[in-house]
Amino acid sequence: MERNMAEITKKDLRRSFLRWYMSAEISNSFERLQSISFCYSMIPVLRKLYPDQDAFKAALKRELQFFNTEAIWGTPIHGITIAMEEEKARGEDIPDSAITGIKTGLMGPLAGIGDTITWGMLKTIIYGIGCTMAAAGNIMGALITIIFPLLTFLISGYLFNMGYHVGRESVKTILHAGWVKELILGTGIVGMFMMGALSAGFVKLELAAVIPVSGGGAIAIQDSLNSMVPGLLPILIVFGIYSVIKKKKVNYGIISLVILIVSLAGSFIGLF
Amino acid sequence: MNLLLAVVAGLWYWYAMCRVGYTLQHIFCQPLVMAVPFGLIMGDLSTALIIGSGIEMMYVGLVSNGGNIPADECLAGVVAIPIALASGMDAQSAIVLALPFGLLGVLMDQIKRFINGYFANLADQYAEQGNDKGIERCAVLYPMAAGLLLRFPPVFILIYFGTDLVQKILNALPGWFTNGLSVAGGVLPALGFAITIFVVGKSMLIPFFILGFFFIQYFQISTIGAAIFGICMALLIICFRREKEAV
Repeated sequence: MERNMAEITKKDLRRSFLRWYMSAEISNSFERLQSISFCYSMIPVLRKLYPDQDAFKAALKRELQFFNTEAIWGTPIHGITIAMEEEKARGEDIPDSAITGIKTGLMGPLAGIGDTITWGMLKTIIYGIGCTMAAAGNIMGALITIIFPLLTFLISGYLFNMGYHVGRESVKTILHAGWVKELILGTGIVGMFMMGALSAGFVKLELAAVIPVSGGGAIAIQDSLNSMVPGLLPILIVFGIYSVIKKKKVNYGIISLVILIVSLAGSFIGLF
Repeated sequence: MNLLLAVVAGLWYWYAMCRVGYTLQHIFCQPLVMAVPFGLIMGDLSTALIIGSGIEMMYVGLVSNGGNIPADECLAGVVAIPIALASGMDAQSAIVLALPFGLLGVLMDQIKRFINGYFANLADQYAEQGNDKGIERCAVLYPMAAGLLLRFPPVFILIYFGTDLVQKILNALPGWFTNGLSVAGGVLPALGFAITIFVVGKSMLIPFFILGFFFIQYFQISTIGAAIFGICMALLIICFRREKEAV
């Protein structure tokens, strides 16, 4: 068997990673999700490893197999795949199913971590801070959102290289390491704390209704609520909706429609 | 002015939703960020930012699940911000205006992923032929071209013809109705927060939400200030856990 000693350089890795980061969601489809993007990111590497056209075709088909993950925390898979393709091209006996198995086996668990850290926490915290600044008309609120892509790009590139150099062990490390669990706990605490802080500023509901008292005066209900617990109505609404979602799994659209109707009705009778 | 707004909004929606750059493009999908170009065009940046951040708050906690987006904040913002600015609507009514478009956008995303299925099949055929350039086109060029046809026209039409219409409707509405819209605009962000708590799914973390809420209610500190306290609290808790495990 002809041995191919083409070496994958740092430049190749960087190119493959950039292709992935830039294109991950562009070709997303129902049947195949990120498969085309995965193959697209592998093309420069496969070209180099398989000068033989038939081997190249087989490699393209192999890397077009179903793939879907969270694109930031899923990149160790790309690194591992490149390392395995490299071994295969050198003539080592690596069956197709081994490569496909690694991909499909790891994409789920890594997506779970990525959804929590990238989207559940980092996105929410950074956009949330931006929102409160922008709510005061400050343009910095819009500009600081750039931290989100910068930070996630660096994390993603780091994990990509880790996958290539450390191999399969890298994912075990990520999935079981204490620091990842601590990161999830820590971002979870900060995320929830910030969500609470933001909802204090953005959820608004005040009662306009007054209770008439004898002698001509009136007590505004809202004033007595404020003196009891400030922000009582907004936080009750948040947790009211939360318990509805949790118990009944009601659709997002239906809840917003109900909110709209109740607000209009309440305004009509002079409650709000 | 309507023409310029409509063209910018249509192109913005197309380009942002192509998702070139996984997390990079995501910031362009945010009402908070797109408020900047719309504000500059209309010459009122701070009102645009206030409207944008109000709409953003409805969606800040939404997490897409396996690629299925629950709502499209990009369409919501790209339609509601220009119309609100051009017709002098307040931020809370703009939130209500944004709502139906956020839901419609989900449909647009499904059409996109349906169309992309065709390019995926095409990519398979190219792989069969060993045509890597063909696969590259299926990964980038074709989906982006199809996206332009899908995303630009509806937004362009909505902004170009919708602005005057919305203004007429607003003027005709009775006072209690516009007040009701404002009330709904104040309550709707609660939905976003409730969904966040649900998605995070750890009841152990709920006290931190309540803590953050009343921290602001009682002390009125800035968000950055809240972030500093929040991060210190998280670090302390992690340190305590480590010490406990070490014992």
